[in-house]
Amino acid sequence: MTDVLQPTDVALVKEETRRSRFGWWWLALVAGVILLQFLVTSTAVPPLWDTVISGPIDQFATWARENRQIHPIFTSFFIPFSAAVDWGLTTIESFLKWLPWFVLPLVVFLVIFRTGNWKMATVAALAMVYPGLVGLWDTTMETLSLMAIAVLIALAIGIPLGVLSARRPSVERLIRPVLDAMQTIPAPVYFIPVVLFFGIRRVPATIATVIYSLPPAVRLTTLGIQGVPHQSVEASDMFGSTPRQTLFKVQLPMAMPTIMTGINQTIMMALGIVVLATLLGAGGLGQEVLEALSQRRTGRGLAAGLAIVAVAMVLDRVGRSLAFADRTRPASRRYVITSLLLVAGAIVVGRAMGWATFPEVWEVSVFDPVDTAVRWGRDNLSFITRPVNDFIVAGLLIPVRDFLTLTVAWPVLMLVTGFICWRLKGVGLAIFSVFALLLVGLIGMWALSLETLTQVLAAVVISVAIAIPVGIWAGRNRRVDAVLAPILDALQTIPSFVFIIPVILLFTVGQVPGIIAAVLYAIVPGIRITALGIRQVPEESIEASQTFGATPRQTMFGVRIPLAAPTIIAAVNQVIMMVLAMVIIAGLVGGGALGFETVRAVTRGETGLGFEVGIAIVVMAIILDRLTNAWAVRLQPPTPSH
Amino acid sequence: MTGDVCLSVEHVWKVFGTRPDKAIDMVGRGATREEVHEATGCTVGVRDVSFDVGRGETFVVMGLSGSGKSTLIRCVSRLNEVTSGRVVLDGQDLTAMSDDQLRQVRRHKMSMVFQHFGLFPHRRVIDNAAYGLEIQGVDKDERYERATRVLEVVGLKGWEQSYPQQLSGGMQQRVGLARALTVDPEILFFDEPFSALDPLIRRDMQDELIRLQETLQRTIVFITHDFAEAIKLGDRIAIMKDGAFDQVGTATELITEPATDYVQEFTKEIPKAKVLTTAAVLKPGQGAPNGRTVRLDDTIEGLLPALLDDDSEIWVEDSDGRTVGVVDRQAVAKALEPDR
Ligand SMILES: Nc1ncnc2c1ncn2[C@@H]1O[C@H](COP(=O)(O)OP(=O)(O)OP(=O)(O)O)[C@@H](O)[C@H]1O
Ligand SMILES: [Mg+2]
Repeated sequence: MTDVLQPTDVALVKEETRRSRFGWWWLALVAGVILLQFLVTSTAVPPLWDTVISGPIDQFATWARENRQIHPIFTSFFIPFSAAVDWGLTTIESFLKWLPWFVLPLVVFLVIFRTGNWKMATVAALAMVYPGLVGLWDTTMETLSLMAIAVLIALAIGIPLGVLSARRPSVERLIRPVLDAMQTIPAPVYFIPVVLFFGIRRVPATIATVIYSLPPAVRLTTLGIQGVPHQSVEASDMFGSTPRQTLFKVQLPMAMPTIMTGINQTIMMALGIVVLATLLGAGGLGQEVLEALSQRRTGRGLAAGLAIVAVAMVLDRVGRSLAFADRTRPASRRYVITSLLLVAGAIVVGRAMGWATFPEVWEVSVFDPVDTAVRWGRDNLSFITRPVNDFIVAGLLIPVRDFLTLTVAWPVLMLVTGFICWRLKGVGLAIFSVFALLLVGLIGMWALSLETLTQVLAAVVISVAIAIPVGIWAGRNRRVDAVLAPILDALQTIPSFVFIIPVILLFTVGQVPGIIAAVLYAIVPGIRITALGIRQVPEESIEASQTFGATPRQTMFGVRIPLAAPTIIAAVNQVIMMVLAMVIIAGLVGGGALGFETVRAVTRGETGLGFEVGIAIVVMAIILDRLTNAWAVRLQPPTPSH
Repeated sequence: MTGDVCLSVEHVWKVFGTRPDKAIDMVGRGATREEVHEATGCTVGVRDVSFDVGRGETFVVMGLSGSGKSTLIRCVSRLNEVTSGRVVLDGQDLTAMSDDQLRQVRRHKMSMVFQHFGLFPHRRVIDNAAYGLEIQGVDKDERYERATRVLEVVGLKGWEQSYPQQLSGGMQQRVGLARALTVDPEILFFDEPFSALDPLIRRDMQDELIRLQETLQRTIVFITHDFAEAIKLGDRIAIMKDGAFDQVGTATELITEPATDYVQEFTKEIPKAKVLTTAAVLKPGQGAPNGRTVRLDDTIEGLLPALLDDDSEIWVEDSDGRTVGVVDRQAVAKALEPDR
């Protein structure tokens, strides 16, 4: 052997220098903090650019409002486009309402039953009946048609785009960062620019839904096609297939399971935002929930919330039964024909007998007692809810917010953020974050952002404190996992908005319900991913540790947790992103801060404000996301480089 | 090379990387693969390979992992573009063809069987077998009929409606074989088709291929890393090393006159008595047959009992029954001597 430096030696040397440098930089940081804290007394960036962004946008918005009917941009593009979408919406909606009500449950049953799971098929079909039972059939059809048209458009754009990016690396390089960014942005932010071009009501709601639900369709199509074994593609080429033949006969069919998973995700994301689109006056189940809640008709709000859950569950089950069907056992021709005949028969009979609308007599009003129960709960459970409320407000929110907004000088905050970004990720992110934060401050969003950040931090701390221990427990203990898995599965399909309902029933409006809803929403993936990380630790490493006589505790903290750490941080990343999304959504129920401003901007048409808020939210989302990602990567055991 | 040439490969080079000219230049001045890689970042996959394959001949390329076999067969079938050189099939230059022309040739003249089968899991066995015809636009009835016939020939009768993943590995490769045969190609490429199978099944498949080839008489280029397989199947064998051919010849030629130590390494492991024929130990001459005769293409193994029985000469006849020479103990012993 020649005495070349081994990679490990190099790493050690680097480690060494990094350590020693690290000490110096820490000192520099502390000095900088002290210095800046003394020099600058202001705790907020002066909003010098208050109108730099909102001004022109507001002008444009006014101009757009005045010229919507006359300017060629609108008359030749946006108006016809809107009209087409609106026509699609109306058609689907009237078709769904024209169908006898029992046809949909029947279709749901038949599609799921095809996989042989009659229990699941029955449950899903009954869930599909549920909205009718509580008198929400037509409202549900409105939501479904909005969703259907959005999903159709999203797939019509997303799948070809996914195919294209699978075949052309240049296209993939171009759209990947865009998709990344799209997935970190909380849903309501999409409403803001959409309002500017399309106004409010159903069409902009559809557009926002399309944009929001597009990424999984593109991503999983690309993933599916890239996952087709190279050899199968070459085999096809060797028979003289044209690229088109290979695409349609080999690549697309072989990628189908992945693409179907993408479609399923697209549908679920679309549902999530369609119920939020009530902000844009799109009607449907979301509106029902909000109205009921604001009128204190709790039972009805709950009923509508459950209808959303039912629809989510049905869609998820139908989607899965299509995505994970066993291809070696395709539905027999007889089954397909019988099913089609059954559906056709149901339609004919239903129409002939005039049974199209859900029968009035079936609309049970079991939810009045719920109102009473909830009122009782709110009054009598306050011995629990009050301390929780007080703890969150007085123990977490106020001290953190006061510290951030009253004590710390703004350059200090920027310095510290930049420093963390630099240490964890690199100079690029550090520069980006400093300038982005500066921008947020200059446009006058500093205080609001810090308030939202406070809420996010509070919710993240609580979520992580719950999700990680529970996730570790579930990862270790098969029985716990067996109990939790189906619950988490079910919870994960529920649109974010629904989580607000039960919380608001108990806590009334304010910041706390938003935070608790965020916690409820975020712990689901938090637990799941943590459990996954723990379970993925190789058995050999555990056994190796045990052969040295390690106690279970030592194995846990010495081997399992360190090895699972990257995954656990990925869980934290997911928690943060979901919390942020929820804290914004909580603006609908008095969560305040950026969320409230978003709602105000959208509903009152204050577009300039909307863009400012949007920028603040996006900046926060990107910094938090990149930071936690970088952290997770850092914890990854080093891989040998070439 | 006698008879009609089907495939002709002329000075083919394949260099992976961004500076192929520099790489070829370095090789020309005697640099090794590693040195080229070090200096240019390019990998020399195939280094100036030329050979002809006659119609109906089975040409085997044998070499260890990484020697460039796959790269060579992929250049010949134009799954990889050659860096320089020509591949001529039936008088047509494949390397100069447009995509469209190439597609036509692939549809009608060539097929390939892959190491990991490359089957289509979403298609039933029969639709896998009929794939090539489907691409050509043959109508459904006809392509099913032809596919059914070929599936029967390869021993898959009754499995037409199954999916590939429901079959064992050996049967899956039979599907791969059927898929290649259904289009009735002139030339078949096999890239280590049996390497993923366990030894017994591998032997079955080799026998199956020999049986098929007796009736089909196709031109075959067969890649393997198994010298025994090469000898069993190949009319001629090329030994490949570091992207170039060390030697091309019949099994007997390789065993009796290995050109390099590398070639000899492989032949050592081979039970020569099973491979060499009487022709390899023949002393030409005429004489009066004494009733002890063998055929020219009998293996030495077959004449050992007779030789051991009795030290007198054994006469050798060619396929027309004419006496062409004798074999004796000395000649056989010399041929079977372990380290030659
Ligand atoms: N697409 C490629 N890009 C770069 N280098 C390649 C590529 N394909 C093959 N090589 C290199 O060319 C050399 C020959 O590879 P090849 O696959 O032809 O070997 P092989 O003889 O078929 O081996 P095996 O028995 O493992 O299949 C190897 O060093 C390989 O790394
Ligand atoms: Mg190979």
